[in-house]
Amino acid sequence: MNTRIISAIVRKDLRVVRRSRALMTPLIVLPVLLMIVFPTVFTFLPRMFGGARTAFQEMFQNLPDPVKKQFGEFTEATWINVVHTQMLAPLMLLVPFMVANVIAADGFAGERERKTLEPLLYTPATDLELFVAKLLAAWIPAVLIAFVGAFVYAVIVNVVAWPIMQRVFFPNPTWVVMVLWMAPAFAALGLAGMLLVSLRVRGMQEATQLGGLFVLPVIALVVGEVRGAVLLGPWKAIAIGLLVWAIAGALLAFGVKRFRRTTLVGKL
Amino acid sequence: MPAIQLEHVLHRYGSTVALRDLSLTVQEGEVFSLLGHNGAGKTTTVRIINGLLAPASGTVSVFGMSPLVDGSMIRRRTAVLTESPTLDDRLTAGETLRAFAEMYDVASKDVRPRTDALLEEFGIADRRDDRVGGFSRGMKQRLSLARSLVHDPDLLFLDEPTAGLDPSATQQLHQTVRNLARTRGRTVVLCTHNLVEAQALSDRVAVLGGGSLLALGTPAELAQRMSPRLEVSIEVDPAQYDTASTTISAVDGLTVAAERAGVLRVSGIARDRVPELNARLVGAGVSVFRLEPHEPSLTDAYFALQQANGSKGGQ
Repeated sequence: MNTRIISAIVRKDLRVVRRSRALMTPLIVLPVLLMIVFPTVFTFLPRMFGGARTAFQEMFQNLPDPVKKQFGEFTEATWINVVHTQMLAPLMLLVPFMVANVIAADGFAGERERKTLEPLLYTPATDLELFVAKLLAAWIPAVLIAFVGAFVYAVIVNVVAWPIMQRVFFPNPTWVVMVLWMAPAFAALGLAGMLLVSLRVRGMQEATQLGGLFVLPVIALVVGEVRGAVLLGPWKAIAIGLLVWAIAGALLAFGVKRFRRTTLVGKL
Repeated sequence: MPAIQLEHVLHRYGSTVALRDLSLTVQEGEVFSLLGHNGAGKTTTVRIINGLLAPASGTVSVFGMSPLVDGSMIRRRTAVLTESPTLDDRLTAGETLRAFAEMYDVASKDVRPRTDALLEEFGIADRRDDRVGGFSRGMKQRLSLARSLVHDPDLLFLDEPTAGLDPSATQQLHQTVRNLARTRGRTVVLCTHNLVEAQALSDRVAVLGGGSLLALGTPAELAQRMSPRLEVSIEVDPAQYDTASTTISAVDGLTVAAERAGVLRVSGIARDRVPELNARLVGAGVSVFRLEPHEPSLTDAYFALQQANGSKGGQ
């Protein structure tokens, strides 16, 4: 594989994404919302609104016994622990998923829609090089944003919760596994899903609508975690990550067989 | 070794036959035109040659290689200027050329000098750092052409290259094509509807119709083959107009009409009978001031071919 050709395509794609306001807006808003706004607001909610404290206390009481046992009596510190290590943690996985999904949609369906795919097909890049370049162009920024976002999240949580916690309590081992192992897997799932959709549709709008369906596993994980049905621990996170890697790998293996110039040119 | 060799190539889109038993050879250093209406098979041919489509049957060889096996190697040596400027509006002119220079694996040290030279050559050096989205259609076309030359290809496909160009840019493009072929020995394949352009630039032309090769040859050969009889304008002493007209009408198969005062237009004369016609007029005492045969053009030949193909298809 010619890494120079791959790198040229990746850099071109990223430059094109960076200059699109329509693409950059969700790519900025979502991480800011999930990595900065949510942790700040949820940390302070019980303090800001007396009524919220009661509501959250009820929510805590409804959690399964093993969770309650894990966190002990309901206090502000317990609340902060539950929110960050249990409830909000899987939401972080939406970031790599969505970033990869959006960039992949632009790289595959968007490029076709703008009619800029044809000159790319006439370059010496092999089908595999083209495929790898398009994957990396979506996966690398998704993972980087997830890593940076997770670091910012951890700093913010520790800073805003310091008056209550009086110690660096975050990240915990589950979160570390989620960031380093699950986030890249969900990014791969997001772009694999978009790749498969893009091979079938012509327009970007169609692609984002259908590709977005692949977010359902993340949503299921979030709901399961909030309701206490999943209860992620490090080993469970490793296992779920492995499963997502396997699904993403299978989808990509399926996609690479269909990612052929001779197929793509038919959709121009 | 020919630059391109197609033998009995057949291609279908579903049940529609796009190319039917197409065989042709393009020699290295040749300017070759593919002529035909929309849907004649020009773009399909270019895509097959570059390995973007696999023919249903037949063999394709480009510089001795098969596009389906050695597609990447072939595309290193070819470039395609597509009909509409397929540029990314969000990149600048400089970034566009740089990206494609790297994709074509141009040596790092050569990228900047090469892109600068091309931007200069195509009159867009002062817009190097401007995004393509703000360019006019003509500028986009010039940038597309610059992009297709960024790796100095041996074989260049130009699909409607002068669409959207002003006369000055068109002339420059023609000069570039001549220079590529004549001075630098590059092979150029023009896909065009512009018959005047094809006649002016091409060594040989292939006329396609409904995916079939209708004719192949030099523009002059095709013109003569399709229109073997000439039209001739003859300027005579206005006082001898009637004598001249009667003399010409007496020759079998010729028709004569007034072109303007003192000038007759003779139709249907074979090239080798023009001297005889002149001799008859002089013999009849007519003073011939000017005798101008009108050579049949590629345009005449093209429409004659398409008409013949249409009537064949209609039978």
